[in-house]
Amino acid sequence: VSTRVLPKSYVMSVFKHFAKTKVSSDVYPVINDILQRYFDRLAEDLEAYSAHAKRKTIEVEDVELLMRRQGFVTDSTPVTVLIEKFLPLEYRKLLIPVATSGNNVVPHQRR
Amino acid sequence: MDEKEAYTQRLKAAVHYTVSKLCQSTAADCEKEMSRQAMAAIAETTFRQCEIFAKDLEAFARHARRHTITVDDVKLLARKSTALSSHIQQKSEEMAINNQELREKRKKNAAKRKSKEMEGNEEGETDQIHLNTNSLPGTASVDNCTDIT
Repeated sequence: VSTRVLPKSYVMSVFKHFAKTKVSSDVYPVINDILQRYFDRLAEDLEAYSAHAKRKTIEVEDVELLMRRQGFVTDSTPVTVLIEKFLPLEYRKLLIPVATSGNNVVPHQRR
Repeated sequence: MDEKEAYTQRLKAAVHYTVSKLCQSTAADCEKEMSRQAMAAIAETTFRQCEIFAKDLEAFARHARRHTITVDDVKLLARKSTALSSHIQQKSEEMAINNQELREKRKKNAAKRKSKEMEGNEEGETDQIHLNTNSLPGTASVDNCTDIT
């Protein structure tokens, strides 16, 4: 038995949300396997991208580049659009601070 | 707009020519025939794939805060398949060796020219300095360009 990459209930609820038909519960092992490979690949790619920019820390721009290569981010759909579309409000606040900062400039200017 | 289209057509024709030559040689190796439509389809695919490659390479170079695409970017592009990436790694190593040899030859030639001109006349000095500044850093970037193509 392979380890669960993400909790079964979470994976199934997300999958059912995007699948337009009924989903039987025995697809979970397959999805889990796919997720395992996906995350392995993701880690490798992010490592390569951060090394490419001569960094040891994976940063937002690495992830953005990855999503650009995966075809999620294009010139017509920037990351912010995807964030607004798919992430809950709390993460949106975290990732797009401009939307909630009122008239304050974020990041704050140094004097 | 019209000019741009004509330019695209010329590029496509060049790609089509090379692709058909490659296809013919491959078909001859396999002792099989290849239809003209198949070759045209491959040429079109190659052309569109080039667009994707160009965009990805540009993104990679910008990611590394460079304006010039280098071999590293190409290697990153070929990471998808291990066979391809090892092939490109090998090619890039070969090219690095060749480039080094070329550069050394050029340096020797430049040195020769320098000594000759020094013997010949003093007037040529300004010209020659100009030439050197052109050739040494310039050739490096030209070499980089040829790496990619």
